[in-house]
Amino acid sequence: MSAAAGVRGAHPLVVSAGVAVGCVAAIAGLAALPGGATLAQQVVSGLMLGGIYVAVAVAFTLTIGVLNFLNFTIPTMFMLTGMVAWGLARHGLPFTEAWHWALALPPGIVVAILASLVVERFTFRYLKTRHGDATEHAIPLVSSLGFLLIFEHLVLIVLGSDAQSFPVRFRLDWQVGPLVVGLPQLASLLLSLAIVFWLSWLLARTRTGRALRSIAESPDTATLLGVEVTRIVPVVFLLSGLLCGVAGALFVVNYSDVSPFMGDHVGTKAIAAMVLGGLGSIWGAIAGGLLVGLLETLGIHFFGGDAAQVVVWTVLLLAIVLRPQGLFGGSRIGKGKL
Amino acid sequence: MPMLLEIEGLEVRYGRTHAVRGVSLGVATAEVVTVLGANGAGKSSLLKAIAGAVTPAGGRIIFDGADVTALSAPERVKRGLVLVPEGRQILVSLTVHENLLMGAYGRRDGDVARDIEGIYARFSNLAARRDMLASVLSGGEQQMLAISRALLARPRLMMLDEPSLGLSPLLVGRLFELVRELNRDGLAILLVEQNTRMALRTASRGYVMELGRIVLDGPADRLADNEALAAAYLGSH
Ligand SMILES: Nc1ncnc2c1ncn2[C@@H]1O[C@H](COP(=O)(O)OP(=O)(O)O)[C@@H](O)[C@H]1O
Ligand SMILES: [Mg+2]
Repeated sequence: MSAAAGVRGAHPLVVSAGVAVGCVAAIAGLAALPGGATLAQQVVSGLMLGGIYVAVAVAFTLTIGVLNFLNFTIPTMFMLTGMVAWGLARHGLPFTEAWHWALALPPGIVVAILASLVVERFTFRYLKTRHGDATEHAIPLVSSLGFLLIFEHLVLIVLGSDAQSFPVRFRLDWQVGPLVVGLPQLASLLLSLAIVFWLSWLLARTRTGRALRSIAESPDTATLLGVEVTRIVPVVFLLSGLLCGVAGALFVVNYSDVSPFMGDHVGTKAIAAMVLGGLGSIWGAIAGGLLVGLLETLGIHFFGGDAAQVVVWTVLLLAIVLRPQGLFGGSRIGKGKL
Repeated sequence: MPMLLEIEGLEVRYGRTHAVRGVSLGVATAEVVTVLGANGAGKSSLLKAIAGAVTPAGGRIIFDGADVTALSAPERVKRGLVLVPEGRQILVSLTVHENLLMGAYGRRDGDVARDIEGIYARFSNLAARRDMLASVLSGGEQQMLAISRALLARPRLMMLDEPSLGLSPLLVGRLFELVRELNRDGLAILLVEQNTRMALRTASRGYVMELGRIVLDGPADRLADNEALAAAYLGSH
């Protein structure tokens, strides 16, 4: 049995707890080294950024795992949260304090969820019932691309194409030795991880989760067992909308900057994180997301912004060539992966 | 005898393939009926249409006095019309126990846990492997799981599509014994089989399909004696 198989055999919660303790210990150790404080600070920001990738990567994993469908509108849901929140904050809410601005985030998340359900209603469900096997996967793909463009341009029309900034930063710093940890940032990272953990519990332990895994393996068999597939599929879109919304909110809290194109960069990184972790594995998406966040932040730290992208993608491509099944993925690629 | 299931003029088409052509048949309460026929005769298509897994191009399906032709497959399962599909279709990425829970998916009563314990008491192999992935089961155990899973839906009519396929003679014997046992408990069974001899010994009536049509039907013992049938189908077994 390989080491990786051994890790897969252990309970993921145990593994995660171990990884979390390891991370904190590593950061503390780094910070204690002479001159290590800046590096440790980078690791903290890397994990924050990784938290965003985790949520989006899990959203991708969910639709691929259950529906065998690469949902191109996922980056758009992420963007919608940021832009709608900014639009509300800028034009709608008469507030001035930072925590007031934070009130604009939940409606942004709700809009992302609703948009995701609209995509399900008008692409996936509608088209699936009208086409046979050959077009079954291609058409939702194309129509989700269509929705991506529609949403992006609606936002352009309503809110303009410029990058925007929340005028008040979300700052409440916690000084831990030489490290500065932003509390709103930490809280939102923990919230997004909590949602991901809840989701994996839902998949593993609940009736709905079993139905989703049955559909992932065989929609026909699930139907014969009494699962109304058309009633469960919206749950997938609801959950992926929620994850993207939370990721968008996390992004706003961390960087305060939004733009109609903010989803593109995060979307590609999240797909990379998903593949790095192992296609179809939620634990893989978590590990991949955090790793990509770390790689990117450390890459920027050591090589500068432009070179960092080259470094990140080179490492990812190498990892994919050397371990095509990803960190946590089994050898089975195809259906029945969740 | 009151009919539990009545099929009238059922048609199934896949594009240009006309798989089921005007089939009418019936299954009475607590009766075992078998449908025989060569490969490609349309037997699986017939069962899938009755279960709601394919949409018929014509005809009516009456179950327990109600027209269920327009109902979805899950709605038919809730009414007790359950199919154990060809090839068993065990969910191999789920555990044995989870497969059983999926069998009871549509049920909202509190007896599911008790019923699953009943299954475990009956099939100790399943009990011993309850928390293992269903992919570790042997062919015979998979068939037991498929039937158990269907039982957990509390069926009134169970349709079995070639359940003996790939089983050893010993297991085939046990399988048909189980079918008779379930029937004695009041379950109606519509059985599609290649193993004509065993099927006719278990069923009270039979239908023979050829190219989508029913070409012969009657009491099982009479079909077993039918020379045309013997020449066409029994010879190979
Ligand atoms: N999904 C399908 N698409 C197209 N043709 C099919 C499909 N399923 C079955 N058929 C065709 O319908 C006919 C009947 O098949 P089937 O119902 O599987 O017969 P049997 O179960 O008696 O072997 C065959 O000619 C088969 O090729
Ligand atoms: Mg068949």
